[in-house]
Amino acid sequence: MTVTAPAVPSTLSPAGAAARAASSRRTRRRLWVVAFVLAAALGFLLYKALTSAIVYFKTANEAVAARAQLGTSTFQLEGVVVPGTVQRRGADVLDFTIESGGVKVPVHNSGAPPQLFQANVPVVLVGHFVGSSDTFSSDQILVKHSNAYIAAHPNRVKGPTGKVVK
Amino acid sequence: MSLVTTPVGLDSAPPPGAPAESGTSTSARPPAETGRSRSALVLRLVGAVALVGVVATVWLGLWVTPPDQFMGNLVRLLYLHPSIAWVMYVAYGVAFLSSLLYLWPRTRSLRWDKLAGASSEVGVVFTGLTLVTGSIWGRPTWGAWWTWDPLLTTTALLFVLYLGYLAVRRIPGDSEVRARRSAIAALIAFVDVPICYFSVLWWRSLHQAPSVDDPVNGKTYIHGSMAWTLLLSFVSFTLVYVWLLVHRYRLFGLAEREEGEGLALAIEERRAESQVPSR
Repeated sequence: MTVTAPAVPSTLSPAGAAARAASSRRTRRRLWVVAFVLAAALGFLLYKALTSAIVYFKTANEAVAARAQLGTSTFQLEGVVVPGTVQRRGADVLDFTIESGGVKVPVHNSGAPPQLFQANVPVVLVGHFVGSSDTFSSDQILVKHSNAYIAAHPNRVKGPTGKVVK
Repeated sequence: MSLVTTPVGLDSAPPPGAPAESGTSTSARPPAETGRSRSALVLRLVGAVALVGVVATVWLGLWVTPPDQFMGNLVRLLYLHPSIAWVMYVAYGVAFLSSLLYLWPRTRSLRWDKLAGASSEVGVVFTGLTLVTGSIWGRPTWGAWWTWDPLLTTTALLFVLYLGYLAVRRIPGDSEVRARRSAIAALIAFVDVPICYFSVLWWRSLHQAPSVDDPVNGKTYIHGSMAWTLLLSFVSFTLVYVWLLVHRYRLFGLAEREEGEGLALAIEERRAESQVPSR
């Protein structure tokens, strides 16, 4: 009587055990890679959360008050675009003034402004003060918008702030 | 093997040792099975209503509602992004509660573990969608795809934390050990959820505060039909969540059942092998 190799499920044969050990080693290695990537991402995000996110921007008056400390370091500056101050200096170069808490800061921006950029809206600028002056040089404008959604009405005149005053 | 022939409800999978229902005749169904088919019907109904709701949201959002005064047509992402973020919060909330219920000795059951796993998985998908839709909305309105604003940063953190949770769930081990480990991981990951939600109120951010029932002054600042469409999108996406959750939960049950049956089969074959006379 000849005995052929029985049809054993591969997971139970000795060869299967070896394969299983190899695959579990592979799984473990993959788990370590996943753990490392996730831990790195977590660390990076926590770092960002504790540095840039907690104080996302300084308002214009705060920045002017801390002018000496800030030097020419890069930070985010917030203020409302003062109407009548926006001037185009060339392709993608804009000069305007922002205001917050009664303090005005002149801004020189290079880079295309977002499509919603306009007077009277609050903006966050990424950049730094120039030299020892109070002029802020920015290379990115971020438009803040409110949480109000009001239907555009063709027959209604826009208020000065771009919102309908209730 | 009839694993997927009968559509079944939330607690569909019978224990591996239970008598198979496939042998029973179609005319006289056991009570358990009629209950199961009723829950399957309910689930299908939820799916159908969710689909109709999403389609109606798209129609209202793109054609019926007016453009916004400030944003113009960009406002139409309002009917997508907030409701997706809402589902994310709901999903993590459900995962948190079911993990607590698993850890609480009186309510300990592997069902809670499966529910937490299913809900987090749906939550991770919706966190990804929140980040993507938010980015698409942020580019034209703010002027940037991404910025390290507190809400955005904590949302990205949520994504990574719950990916980590899903990875922890896959670490091999005894099912009870795995469930306890996962439940603890879910509680840790959940710490970021309230931080994320309240970040726009606690810290300065580029992102606006919630529009519906703004926690600062309890007002809602949305115009008529825009508000109704937003509400419809919240309801529809919540139903999408429920539908996905139940299906994912059932898949866990089916996978477990398959594992059990696979093991039984393997043991049987091993026994058969020992019957063969060896040299």
